[in-house]
Amino acid sequence: MKNLTTRFLMACAAIGAATGVLLIPAFFVSFAISATVPLAYAAMAGVWLLGPVIALAVLRRPGAAVLTMLLAGIINIASPAGPSAIVTNLMVGVAMELGFLVTLYRIWRPWLFHVTALVFQTFYAISAYAYFHIDDVALAGKAGFVILLALSTVGFVQAGLIIAKRLTAAGVARGIRRPQPS
Amino acid sequence: MIDSILSLRSYNPVVKVLAPIPAMVVAGLSRDLWTPAALTVIALVMLLAFGRLRGRALLWTLAGPPLMVAVLTLSFGVWIDREKVGGWSGALEAGLATGLRVSAVLTLALIAGLTSEGTDLVRSMITHLRMPYRIGYAGFAAMRFVPRFRHDLEIIRLAHRVRGVSTGRGPVATTKRYSGYVVPLLAGAMRHGDRVSLAMEARGFGAYPARTERRRVPLRARDAVLALWLLLLCLVPTLPGVLG
Repeated sequence: MKNLTTRFLMACAAIGAATGVLLIPAFFVSFAISATVPLAYAAMAGVWLLGPVIALAVLRRPGAAVLTMLLAGIINIASPAGPSAIVTNLMVGVAMELGFLVTLYRIWRPWLFHVTALVFQTFYAISAYAYFHIDDVALAGKAGFVILLALSTVGFVQAGLIIAKRLTAAGVARGIRRPQPS
Repeated sequence: MIDSILSLRSYNPVVKVLAPIPAMVVAGLSRDLWTPAALTVIALVMLLAFGRLRGRALLWTLAGPPLMVAVLTLSFGVWIDREKVGGWSGALEAGLATGLRVSAVLTLALIAGLTSEGTDLVRSMITHLRMPYRIGYAGFAAMRFVPRFRHDLEIIRLAHRVRGVSTGRGPVATTKRYSGYVVPLLAGAMRHGDRVSLAMEARGFGAYPARTERRRVPLRARDAVLALWLLLLCLVPTLPGVLG
């Protein structure tokens, strides 16, 4: 609790509100396209990673991803996923946080963002397999699902890192970031 | 009126969010037609009978699930490996099962989504889930940021226009233009967050370990009944066996 300064909380609220606003149409679109082209669903699964990646990369503090996604989930109550969006979002937030937790929040290199996201998407793909009946889809569809999921993961993580870099250049996180042990 | 026991709005939002989750897992993992179909119907009946829905929400609740089941059934019929599931009828059946599964999860989530207020959910999370109130108030702040964002976006858009920032026409150019709004919007939001946190601390926010609330969100016997009912929905898959 000591580390949760009001300024850090409000920075998370700002990123979380932006993520929540972005995810409301994403939930609508994902329900619509999961109904028509399940493969396109894999292509947009990476959108959920933008928020936690930006929060972690800009604020570089433990809990940034979880907090941001919790707050984004509270905003998402208006979407068709309802408050269960909080559960979805928290799952993504916790997953992104885990990679940094196991490295004791010492490494903030881009590769760790990518690796964490890809590990999470592997677990996600396994659960989506049952949910979308992917088992019965033709082989080309299966391969497409995995490839699109991987591409969207790497793409959106990269986009998040670029946004984070520009935000840092704008100087908004000055004083929130912890001094880094080098 | 709002406090009527027959209105889902009078129930505790945390209960409405958490209690349907086991049933959602059961629906998501089911492979038959009966389980998701029964859960969809039960959730829809609950919403229509006790949700007090109006206008667009009512329209979408009525039209959404059948529409989604129909579209998913057809689209999966096209995607699925027909040799493996036994021709077109098998493909359509697998599609129907998927459609029902998605709509069961969706309608169970809507029970909470259409009948609770975000602010009440946060208040209840602070009181009943023991979420630290500092985090809860960050949630309130995030909700208040949203209308501000809309205003900020308009200002940034106008500023780009007045300076003649042009990316051309068409969908690619539009995407490019919008991605140009992201960084100023987020930077503005975070600076606003800084100012809000200063204002809050100046008013003594977080000075005490606990905090009282003016508006109380009750947790009553009726919530226990609702939670029990939603948990009992997990037994839906075993019903056909019991009934014979």
